[in-house]
Amino acid sequence: MLNYRKIRIMHKLAVYENKEGKEDIQLSKYYKTDYVRYQVLKSIICATVGYALILLLIFLYQSEYLVRNAVNLDYKTIGLYILGIYIIIITIYGFGSLIGYSLKYDASRKKLGRYYKLLNRLNKIYKEESPES
Amino acid sequence: MMQLLVFRERIKNLYQRYDLYIIPIVKFLFALIAFETINREIGYDERIKALPVLLALSLLSAFMPSAIMVLLAAFMSVLHVYSESPILAIIVGIIMIILYVLFARFTPKQGYVLLAIPVLYTLKIPFVIPILLGLIATPISIIPTVCGVIIYFVFQVVKTAVTMQVNKTVEDILLLYTNVIDNLTGNKLMILSFVIFAMIILVTYFVRKMKFDYAFEIAIVSGAITSILGFLISDLILDRSDEIISMILGTIASAAIVYAIHFFRFTLDYSGVEYAQFEDDVYYYYVKAVPKITVTAPQKNVKHFNVKNVDKNISKTNSYNYDDADIDDYDEDEAYLHVNDYENDDE
Repeated sequence: MLNYRKIRIMHKLAVYENKEGKEDIQLSKYYKTDYVRYQVLKSIICATVGYALILLLIFLYQSEYLVRNAVNLDYKTIGLYILGIYIIIITIYGFGSLIGYSLKYDASRKKLGRYYKLLNRLNKIYKEESPES
Repeated sequence: MMQLLVFRERIKNLYQRYDLYIIPIVKFLFALIAFETINREIGYDERIKALPVLLALSLLSAFMPSAIMVLLAAFMSVLHVYSESPILAIIVGIIMIILYVLFARFTPKQGYVLLAIPVLYTLKIPFVIPILLGLIATPISIIPTVCGVIIYFVFQVVKTAVTMQVNKTVEDILLLYTNVIDNLTGNKLMILSFVIFAMIILVTYFVRKMKFDYAFEIAIVSGAITSILGFLISDLILDRSDEIISMILGTIASAAIVYAIHFFRFTLDYSGVEYAQFEDDVYYYYVKAVPKITVTAPQKNVKHFNVKNVDKNISKTNSYNYDDADIDDYDEDEAYLHVNDYENDDE
């Protein structure tokens, strides 16, 4: 015989798993520190790529000047500038991601709490159905 | 007003019943308009402009996530530019990658904004997006909005740059490149547009958050006023007074569109028929959950309600009313699992 109470819970779980829950469940596979670290690393890599591309654009834009003054350029200062700005960008992106993704993880955990509650209810129904096992 | 409310109710019923088909159709039309706009604005490559390609790409976008549509549009524009000038295509590609890795990747769910702003710019109603985002999202949506504005201006610059005669010497290529970058970085209109769009989003957002009657409607109006004032000042500063009339008309049209979206929002917000598949030890279940329709059009003697009450009634009776007696057990979870929370849109 069909247990409608169970079907209802299972339906809700299935809908949640297929829609907004997809990401939450994916997140729940990580520890918070692992997840945040992974995201920070990704942000830093992306920021590095973006910064390198911007540098490339600037370098091309100034290439005539650079080639003309290749001998007289103060490479040390230029290098320090590039490095300094890079460190600033990395710090901003790193800290930004650290805060942003920590909040996201916490929010997703909260949502998952309700999901687990439903799972427990389902579990209870299973036990009621087959008390001997 | 009565008729409008009945109309809204009808649309709601229609949407609930056929959302499986309506959503792809809407996505298809949006993709078609977007791709057609790209073809009309920068359609240099006749092969991509061909109707079968256009239809195939739109059809693909209809059944794929919105990110795919944005990606297709990006590829399409770069290929168009490539057929005319490979150098410009490389520059455009690099700028797009920079925008993605530094900014747009943080707001993946609002990727469509990147596409919508350039498209709406060509229709002269780009103000729809900031007002709408102020209404339904959080200020973080400034990021995709600004990226969308940059993309629009990049293509404006590219459109003028492709007309330049370029030989394949290094000097000429560098000249073309510096010209593009000069036009882009020295574009005061672009920078002012960022600021004004960001202001529209902030003003709309904060007014809509205030706790007084008609906050949403007032938010739309204040967003529109911010837009008109901002662009009025920028047009006067940049001596573009011939644009003022079309800007004001565009803003009014945008506000009207946003109001229409807001009016139907509870409709669009509704979950339609829900299909789910799962199994237990004994059965496979193919569940089709049809939301109960609480207020039907013919019964609607809404004379006694004002609009706000009707809205509340509708939002309270969310789509997951089950018929069983023991429904009480699950109310809180239903409310949680199925509530459509606009506040989470910022991710």
